[in-house]
Amino acid sequence: MRLSRRTRLAGVALVAAASLTLAACGGDSGDDSSSSDQVITVDGSEPQNPLVPSSTNETGGGNVIDELYAGLVAYKADGSTVNEVADSIESEDNKTWTVKLKDWEFSDGSKVTADSFVKAWSYGAFIDNAQLNAYFYYPIAGTNDEGNSETPELSGLKVVDEKTFTITLKQAEADFPARLGYSAFFPLPDAAFGSDGKVTKEFGENPITNGPYKMDGEGAWEHDTQIRLVPNEKYDGERKPENGGLTFKFYTDLDAAYTDVQAGNLDVLKTVPDSALTTFESDENVQPVSEPGSVFQSFTIPQSMPGFGSDEEGKLRRQAISLAINREEITDKIFNGTRTPAKDFSSPLMPGFNEDIEGSEVLSFDPEKAKQLWAQADEIKKFNGKFQIGYNGDGGHQAWVDAVSNQLKNNLGIQASGKSYPTFDELRKDVTDRTIKIAFRTGWQPDYPSIYNYLAPVYGTGAGSNDGDYSNKQFDDLINQAAGAQDEDERYKLYSDAQAVLMQDLPAIPTWYTNIAAASAKGVNNVEFNWQNLPEYHKLTK
Amino acid sequence: MPEIAIRPGQERFVAPLEETPLQDVDSVDLSAAPESQWKEAWKRLRKSPLFWISGTLLVIIAIVVAFPGLFTSADPSYENLSDSLAPAREGHPLGFTQQGGDVWARTLYGARASVAVGVFATLFVTVVGVVTGAIAGFFGGWVDSLISRLSDIFFSIPLLLAAIVVISIINNIWPERQFWGSVFVVVGALALFAWPQITRQMRGAVLSVKSLEFVDAATAIGASRWKNLVRHIVPNAMAPVIVTATITLGVFIVAEATLSFLGLGLPRSSVVSWGNDIAAAQVLVRSGQHLEVMFVPATALAITVLAFILLGDAVREAFDPKARKK
Amino acid sequence: MWWYVGKRLLQTIPVILGATFIIYALVFLRPGDPIAGLFGEKPVNEGVKEQIEAQYNLDKPFLVQWLLFLKGAVTLDFGNSYTGRPVIDLVSQAFPVTITLALMALAIEMVLGIVAGTIAGLRRGGLFDSTMLVTSLIVIAVPIFVFGFVLQLIFGVKLGWVDPTVGGDWSVSKLILPAFVLGLVSFAYVLRLTRTSVAENLSTDHVRTARAKGLTQRQVVKNHVLRNSLIPVVTFLGVDLGALMAGAVVTESIFNIPGVGNLAYNAIKRGENPTVVSVVTIMVLVYVLASLLVDLLYAWLDPRIRYA
Repeated sequence: MRLSRRTRLAGVALVAAASLTLAACGGDSGDDSSSSDQVITVDGSEPQNPLVPSSTNETGGGNVIDELYAGLVAYKADGSTVNEVADSIESEDNKTWTVKLKDWEFSDGSKVTADSFVKAWSYGAFIDNAQLNAYFYYPIAGTNDEGNSETPELSGLKVVDEKTFTITLKQAEADFPARLGYSAFFPLPDAAFGSDGKVTKEFGENPITNGPYKMDGEGAWEHDTQIRLVPNEKYDGERKPENGGLTFKFYTDLDAAYTDVQAGNLDVLKTVPDSALTTFESDENVQPVSEPGSVFQSFTIPQSMPGFGSDEEGKLRRQAISLAINREEITDKIFNGTRTPAKDFSSPLMPGFNEDIEGSEVLSFDPEKAKQLWAQADEIKKFNGKFQIGYNGDGGHQAWVDAVSNQLKNNLGIQASGKSYPTFDELRKDVTDRTIKIAFRTGWQPDYPSIYNYLAPVYGTGAGSNDGDYSNKQFDDLINQAAGAQDEDERYKLYSDAQAVLMQDLPAIPTWYTNIAAASAKGVNNVEFNWQNLPEYHKLTK
Repeated sequence: MPEIAIRPGQERFVAPLEETPLQDVDSVDLSAAPESQWKEAWKRLRKSPLFWISGTLLVIIAIVVAFPGLFTSADPSYENLSDSLAPAREGHPLGFTQQGGDVWARTLYGARASVAVGVFATLFVTVVGVVTGAIAGFFGGWVDSLISRLSDIFFSIPLLLAAIVVISIINNIWPERQFWGSVFVVVGALALFAWPQITRQMRGAVLSVKSLEFVDAATAIGASRWKNLVRHIVPNAMAPVIVTATITLGVFIVAEATLSFLGLGLPRSSVVSWGNDIAAAQVLVRSGQHLEVMFVPATALAITVLAFILLGDAVREAFDPKARKK
Repeated sequence: MWWYVGKRLLQTIPVILGATFIIYALVFLRPGDPIAGLFGEKPVNEGVKEQIEAQYNLDKPFLVQWLLFLKGAVTLDFGNSYTGRPVIDLVSQAFPVTITLALMALAIEMVLGIVAGTIAGLRRGGLFDSTMLVTSLIVIAVPIFVFGFVLQLIFGVKLGWVDPTVGGDWSVSKLILPAFVLGLVSFAYVLRLTRTSVAENLSTDHVRTARAKGLTQRQVVKNHVLRNSLIPVVTFLGVDLGALMAGAVVTESIFNIPGVGNLAYNAIKRGENPTVVSVVTIMVLVYVLASLLVDLLYAWLDPRIRYA
């Protein structure tokens, strides 16, 4: 059974790869059906914020912003970085970084200068501007733990000349340049700011940008309908558009979007709906894409939960819970193979991924051992409670939470169930106020391609997204060492060591990675997905 | 009785006796003691085949609700993923759900919660709706304005929105609910904003009934206003209410499915319900496979609604004094 | 008559006050923290949060929030959504497509329901009547999601007769399929109400009198049965218009229609008071106008009903 599933997945991947190469050949031979001036329609959702990098932290606006702007570095599909606007980013001590820029222009012809970056980041961090993405500035000197600064000028940033500026960090961070392709670090032109120093409303509606695409003129953002982008002829970087433009069509429901792909009304859908998971790979009306992805899924058991503390009893119970979950079965029966059982705390797409971390057998299914560990814990102290997993009911999590609960019930003989919070913000409030006394679902989509991003912000003592209040000195030390390590292999080794600590303590129970399960309409070529689980939009043609 | 001469051409204006009101006069047994309309209705009800068909269905439903274990030995809350969507086998006549639960057992045990949601929510909206609607329609004036505008207020708050908010609030102050607690929260959330529908129907019917001759007649012989309302107007104005209520019953059961789909309905972990199972089976529709997982609980729901619709028809006919011929 | 209409329109004011008050109270009592939600799973600075809360008056007691909303509403300023767009823009963009959709659904369910209901009522117990009973049972018991989805697949993908989804550039022809789906459950109501009413009226004195006068079946049904049978149907349709508008969440999702139902649903999920309250205010207007129209229709359908 397991074998056949694997072969099937591999088969699909091969077919996808084959169609890619075929398509590439077609493009080279100047085939008429694959023309470079075709506009590609892709699925999206109405952006919840103005199209300003520092104020957008949700995917609806984020996907558009990534295509509109270009940062100091760009990410390739495999997650490696390449300099984009930056000519060089150098540091002697990994703490003070000197950035030199190339000669780039915004779409209106104004120059991309050191000021364009420094002003944009300072604006994003300044507390009075209340920007939702401020968190990403937290490594820079002059900000607090949430990345906000008290002054309009960010003290860690210094303009040297028109094409040079320096960034001073709070501590050494070896992989800092890898973060600079994230949207919070994009530049803004002078035209963005009004006389009051704030980014104007008009700019947020119709920004002037330096990325592969620009807005298709006034009114390109048709609210609740679509956003039209056209290639930016001023752009001269890695992501040169191969199509004639991108139109992000908004959907509130993936099912509707999938139906549109079937009917040929939408070119690319990046996530197929749950209802199509069993059929999309054999659907004659679409071209399926199924590949490993970068989103890590888990549920966090707060350290304060009775019976699950950081003592011996808690560790035993956490391991018992993890061993009692049959990840293969759930990813197969509930997700039809569009999730891959987790082997670590990051993702197989990350550079340095290691699937044989010490202690990772705790992620395999072993009901006998699970029962035994639970009984050991019961000898220390009897557990009379109920094991609940909280989730937001508006996010389609019920099926897997129920399946996990059933396995815990059947394999450990304990009471287990899901607890639905009607909306996301209710769950988040309970979590951030630390009033939650049950396990709850957590997931991590990388902000930049590094295992560090999966670990430090989530499990570091007092870190921003450490919602379970996990704290282990050994882990913190290893992660700090990794941050300062110059040598890549040494860094990867330290990541594995740090994760070995997590395998012991299980602050969160890793469940699976979300695969890329996408569909494109017939006749769309070069559908290639990157480490963010997103299509390489600029490469799409039809 | 003297013969009445029929003038030429008059024949064609004379309807056959069974189509004229005279028929009713003839068929009334004058020797019987006058009975209240309610009593008479009950008498007629007992003679109605519709009543017996629906009654039989309802008795079956009631037995399933009370003793679901009589018809299956499977545990409805036991789910094992290795049985996911497995076909029927011995002891499991209708196969398994996606989570690996027994479809037949879950449908039988789900009757209790689903019928309870439907019946109690309908009962609530009907009682509130009939009382407020009758008062508004009968008394008119400022009483009517007050009730009608109050119903506008409650009705203009979209049901789904209200249910989300109300259930969130209750979840917060009453998190650990058992079976009946969960059922009544859903009933409350659905019924609280749905009664104006019945109020409107009742008010409209009362408005048109109160202007009929027999009401004037009753007033003329000195019936008090309240007596008039309760004994003569309400029974005659019930037809649209009964029709609306019986359909609403089914709509409530399905609405529970919608709430479940949004994770707001009955908690799946502690309550088995048709709504939960229909909602959970929705992902199967596109593939077109294993549709029975949805259609079994949906059929149970349809049969329940059918029983109540037929009962409603029987009751309505029993109350309709004009339909008593033959 | 005009005095009556004027009086009724004046009553809209307390209804709006009451409905918005209830919504404000409910949203205020709702657990959850919309501003924390805005930040996703990233940490939130207290200072930033307070600042955003102040911007949307969320730091004030709900009575004050409500009064501030009313103050703005008088000048048609309904505040901004958390996305920074004026709510009036959101609503005025979503409203036309939704009212069109709801009116189309209303027309479809009315025509089909009254015709089928009349035939069923005239021949009670017959084959047609039984078929319609089974049809309404199916319509009630199978979730609208399934119908919408199946019809979309057949007509939109397999046959390709219509666009499977509507999207932002909607047109009346694109809305026919969604309107049909939306009106299905209400069709069951109209059908059963008409059938019952027709059956009841067939045995009334005035219909017998009309028959006795020798009128044809057609004339009897049209002039004497139907007109009197329509009161419950008109009552139902009157309240249904609003229900179709606000309750179209599922239909709007399936067919990707950017309408009021989804606007309100997403706003409540985000705890976005200004949008929720504005939608409810619009719904109040729809209900009050519809119920006024219904009352006027009563008087036309049944001349014995008179209003002071």
